[in-house]
Amino acid sequence: MAVESKPLETVLPAAHVEEDPREHLMFDPRPREEMNRMIMEAMTTTSRRYWAWVIGLALVVLICLFGAWGNMILTGMGLAGIRRPVFWGLFIVTFVFWIGISHAGTFVSAILRVFKAEFRRPFTRASELMTTFGLAAGALFPLIHLGRVWVFYWMIPYPNARWLWPNFRSPLVWDFLAITTYLLSSTIYLYLPLVPDLAMARDRTTGWRHTLYRLLALGWRGTEAEWHRLRRAITIFAFAIIPVMFSVHTIVSWDFAVGVVAGWHSTIFGPYFIIGAILSGVAAVVSILFVLRSTMQHMDYFIRKEHFDALGKLLLVFSMAWAYFFFNDYLLTWYGGEEAARRILTLHATGPAAWVWYLMLICNVLIPWLTLWNRTIRRTPWAMFIITLLINVGMYAERYTIIPLTLGHQRMPFDWGVYTPRPTEISIVIGTFALFLLLYLLASRLIPLVPVWEVQEGQMAHTLRRVGKAEVPSVTELE
Amino acid sequence: MSEKITRRDFLKLTAMGAAATAVMTGCGPMSRYVVRRPYTQMPEYNQTGESTYYASTCRECPAGCGILVRTREGRALTIEGNPNHPVNRGRLCARGLTAQQGLYNPDRVRGPRFQGRGKPTSPPRDLTWEEAVQVVGSALQKPPERIAFLLGLVPDHLFDLVSELTQALGAPPPLRYGALAALDGRTTLLEATRRLFDTPALPYFDLAQAEVTLAFGADFLQAWLSPVTYTRAYGNMRQGNPRRRGELIVFEPRQSLTAGNADRWVPIAPGSEAHVALALGGRVAELRGLPVPEAFRAVSLEEAARVSGIPAAQLEDLAVTFATAERPLALVGGSALTQPNGLVTAQAVLALNALVNNLGQPGGVFLTPAEATPAPLTAVSDLVRRMQAGEIEVLFIHGVNPLFELPAALGFAAALENVPLVISFAPFPDETALQSDYIFPDHSALESFGYQRSLAGADRPAWSASQPVVVPLYNTRATVDVLLAAAQAIGRALPYRDEVDFIQQKILPLLNAGGFYTAPEILTFWSRWLQYGGWWTPAAGLPAPRSPRLPASFGTLTPPPAPAEGQFYLLTYTNHLGDGSGANRPWLQELPDAMTTVTWNTWVEIHPTTAEHLGLKDDDVVRITTPYGAVEASVYRYPAIRPDTIAIPFGQGHTALGRWAEGRGCNPAQILPAATNPAGDPAFIGTTATLMPTGRRRPLARVESKDGVYGEH
Amino acid sequence: MAEERPAKWGLVVDLDRCTGCNACIAACSMENNVPFVGEDEVAYGRALYWIRTQRYWEGEYPAVTPTFQPVMCQQCGNAPCEPVCPVYASVHSEEEQINLAVYNRCVGTRYCANNCPYFARVFNWFDYELPEPMRSYLNPDVTVRRRGVMEKCTFCVQRIVRGRQKARAEGRELRDGEIQPACVQACPAEALVFGDLSDPESRVSQLARSQRRYHLLEELGTLPRVTYLKGVGNHGG
Repeated sequence: MAVESKPLETVLPAAHVEEDPREHLMFDPRPREEMNRMIMEAMTTTSRRYWAWVIGLALVVLICLFGAWGNMILTGMGLAGIRRPVFWGLFIVTFVFWIGISHAGTFVSAILRVFKAEFRRPFTRASELMTTFGLAAGALFPLIHLGRVWVFYWMIPYPNARWLWPNFRSPLVWDFLAITTYLLSSTIYLYLPLVPDLAMARDRTTGWRHTLYRLLALGWRGTEAEWHRLRRAITIFAFAIIPVMFSVHTIVSWDFAVGVVAGWHSTIFGPYFIIGAILSGVAAVVSILFVLRSTMQHMDYFIRKEHFDALGKLLLVFSMAWAYFFFNDYLLTWYGGEEAARRILTLHATGPAAWVWYLMLICNVLIPWLTLWNRTIRRTPWAMFIITLLINVGMYAERYTIIPLTLGHQRMPFDWGVYTPRPTEISIVIGTFALFLLLYLLASRLIPLVPVWEVQEGQMAHTLRRVGKAEVPSVTELE
Repeated sequence: MSEKITRRDFLKLTAMGAAATAVMTGCGPMSRYVVRRPYTQMPEYNQTGESTYYASTCRECPAGCGILVRTREGRALTIEGNPNHPVNRGRLCARGLTAQQGLYNPDRVRGPRFQGRGKPTSPPRDLTWEEAVQVVGSALQKPPERIAFLLGLVPDHLFDLVSELTQALGAPPPLRYGALAALDGRTTLLEATRRLFDTPALPYFDLAQAEVTLAFGADFLQAWLSPVTYTRAYGNMRQGNPRRRGELIVFEPRQSLTAGNADRWVPIAPGSEAHVALALGGRVAELRGLPVPEAFRAVSLEEAARVSGIPAAQLEDLAVTFATAERPLALVGGSALTQPNGLVTAQAVLALNALVNNLGQPGGVFLTPAEATPAPLTAVSDLVRRMQAGEIEVLFIHGVNPLFELPAALGFAAALENVPLVISFAPFPDETALQSDYIFPDHSALESFGYQRSLAGADRPAWSASQPVVVPLYNTRATVDVLLAAAQAIGRALPYRDEVDFIQQKILPLLNAGGFYTAPEILTFWSRWLQYGGWWTPAAGLPAPRSPRLPASFGTLTPPPAPAEGQFYLLTYTNHLGDGSGANRPWLQELPDAMTTVTWNTWVEIHPTTAEHLGLKDDDVVRITTPYGAVEASVYRYPAIRPDTIAIPFGQGHTALGRWAEGRGCNPAQILPAATNPAGDPAFIGTTATLMPTGRRRPLARVESKDGVYGEH
Repeated sequence: MAEERPAKWGLVVDLDRCTGCNACIAACSMENNVPFVGEDEVAYGRALYWIRTQRYWEGEYPAVTPTFQPVMCQQCGNAPCEPVCPVYASVHSEEEQINLAVYNRCVGTRYCANNCPYFARVFNWFDYELPEPMRSYLNPDVTVRRRGVMEKCTFCVQRIVRGRQKARAEGRELRDGEIQPACVQACPAEALVFGDLSDPESRVSQLARSQRRYHLLEELGTLPRVTYLKGVGNHGG
């Protein structure tokens, strides 16, 4: 590895120096072979419980998602609780939710990579997987919610005899293009750093796994030139995918913001949605890390309290940012005083479904602000798990408030309507959660969930140097 | 339509049935029967992809609006108003517009059958028409005084034929009854005009040209007499005259659609309409400098104010408005008549018009020329008494559903048990048909010939013609033909070959009666008659009532009973479902009620403060009990009803009549009294009802958002 | 053939005449093969009325009065439903200058319905089968929509087309009032007037210049083709 030693640059703050630096993964190196073995073990060990989960989730996906969806295709959209005037309900809510979740991978991986945040190293892949699978689950919804899904391809710009193109003025076409781009680029971005690890796995497996990894590793040998190209590619992608990520959720927000619907027509929706997406995505990463840490072998070595701590700080920042955007959106709508929009704000806070609105504020603002300032809480994985789950509940409530609760009370009070989700759509939503978990569960035994080479690279750059009697952590700039 | 009629259209219009599998045959140039033929022999005028229009008459209510039915490839598609028709001038109401759903209703009776009164011991079986004619024939051979015909308000030609038949047999004349006529108070109007003007005739009110209109109870925009005529007149009253917008003031305990459209709604105490009309009359006479007629001295303004709950100052104001108007008009009908004081109210209001001198004037009162023949409820209850006493051996029922429409308190159901032979001609399996021995289904309205000559909404002498627009779908037969055949079979033949022959002979006097077309002989006349959908005079003009002979008193006045604590005045009214025969039209069910926006069910209207007082919320199911029975309905908190009054719409609560009507809502006829006013119309006021929560809820399918309209979640 | 003057179809609703009787709904539904959905679905807000009468209450008892306002597709000149449809199922017709719903192109995103400030659009939540022989009355000029498709008032475009073809075949111009949508034809109060707004002499143009005129949600800039004439006094609109 091309490691160039540099003089000591960073001395951690005094509070941190007092604790044992070996609590940090980067200062707690293990021999490469041992680490490789740990990852291989984690990847190849399957318990009875694991298979029970896989089968259970597969059944849920089959019945709740595809069964209910198939039935709805045959019977009609009426099986969902949507109605006039609330033409969009749980499907679009969950769509936005999953697209939001999918921001985590890119954010954690690409942005932290670009800014060289070292704590990212052990969980970049776990979060990138969330991007891909979150998109896979989310991208189903634009199909599910179609009245006539059997002609969905009419939304795709493909050459046809009648020269009928989709309407490029429609945000739904932008959506389609943005999501496809994001899905493709994030999959490649997931795959690139995976290659050296796949090669590692290839060298340590036999049978079908060996064949699989041999194919996927693309003949990686670990030469200097290969490393060079890989780094270049990762860097390019890391920079390139960030605007894609921002564009995706902005475009999702434009589905709402470009309409004349009171309460949607807001210029701040783009950044507001992005912040919300990152908040929910990062929270979901924390939840997933907790699960990985407590269920997979050796994960407590890779995923440590320091990571929960760091992500907790990020969450606090994003919770504040989200609150800021929420406040902005609310205040300006209220101050603008358009009757219909103002009526909607009142209804959100006092209407029959006001609890959803309060749930959103409690989960997204109150709980993070009350807890995440505290280092002990941030370093308690189970507490972080609960808090992050609640943040995602809050973000789901936010989308629910924005979509059905706003559509139901537009400018013509005679036609107002209350939307109640019905079993079919609840079942489909549960089905996509199961699909996400199932994909994740399968992936956890197929690919190394921890980018071993990145951890090892980081550990090489971090050393403890003796300065007099004290051990001083030092970091070497890579590249 | 009229300007478009070419010779080719003329041929199209004169041609009768035209169905996917049918053309007509028959002797002579004008055919009278529609016969099934293979589609390969499609009639010359019937081109694929081209519509053929037939002029006919709507039979969904007795108003007799002219319709044009658009047919194509032998199917009746849409129904449009006949632009030339004097009743509706091309306009149509929801009932007429959905009449195809009656024609193509899947629950129709598809052929003559032995019904066996629904008893398991005598299961229904299909019959042939030969057997049916035999059954009717032998029924007509019973002792004539023991034969009874109960007919509906439509069609008139059947009533005319049955009248001749009963006369020939020596049987009592047929009775015509319909809930619509009873709730309109038509008999009371006839009796009032007989007393005041010596002519029992339905009045025609020239609403379009009136300046100030006082309406007592008449919901002319939705149910009363001829709703399309009066709705059109209402529109013209408002905006037809660029110089002046007519003003409408309505006295009703419950805001009907008419009162909802009024400039002023006066929530009058039920039963006090007569007091108010008399007091206003006295004041108006004074204001116009006339001697106050004796009859109007019966009630002072103060007393009327006390009885009606309307402040005296407001009454005075109304009297001034009416007396000083250029063209004042006073209307009366509906709930103002169906009460003990109804006949007094009718006379007082008609006389009020005489006081302001508008009889026969533009914007005033006229009398319709045709004889109107609804039987009073007293006549029906007399029939019921005779049935009960076993004096009736055969009962023929056509066009009316007495088990549904008559107040249950009358005891028709029990009396029916005592009639050995009941023959129904209903095209639908309604409540009464199912309790009959035989059902010999008549054609549905759009498959029938006929005429309507009593047209309450026509501004001129007019007859409205019916003709089949499609081939009969099922093995049904015109009741007129069945009766003619049966009479012939027993050797009492009437001088008519068939229904068409009968109609042609009945319209013979019109040949040169000054209509907008004339013809030298009946066949030419007949073709025009079918082409234009009837006959009428070219110019408007109705007889003016002669100036009334005002009696010293219009009758005794009963002060309205003050309901005791927990008791409410009970009103029933008709909305677009009419007398309930429309309840099997799914689109009529789906149509929001104009005032409440409720669909597909029955509700009971309760004033919000009353509901609050009783602890009732919207959609709570309450039990409404009168001395005559109890029904259950969901609460609709109706802001425009008197707090001491509750109202239930008529028309739902069917136990038969097919999939869309059955088991829906409740039938207020179950709890209405059988009492009558002096004219023989039902008298509802005087019966009070109690409300009892059942603890259940049944949400009403309302179109309005409660949240948006009332701010309630 | 001589060049035809393109018509700009418009509707005037005189709320002073309108009684709220709902005959327009019945006429529209029978002309346009609009299915009925039954009690439970109506209760859940899934009725397929292309036109409905908005009834609000004004005032307190005893001065309480309903106001009726029939609302159908306003055929906006600047229609919010049009740009958002990804497949051009909601388009502006060049010939009639109205907003068309292309049923066989619709994929059912329902975006147009969300974006319609008038709630004029309704969705086929299910297939609404008519029992035999009720299908016989279906109007062959109007497509029967299947499940998953949006629909809405079209100003009875089939009647406009038929009228225009007839006039063309007879080699004449369309007469004012010759073409009437079903609701206009039925309206017993003659509250609805339909015609060509580009002809300043047409009845609809004259009424649309009335001092009582207003457009629904005018502030949104949708340029509706439907003009309402305000009721007078406490009555209507």
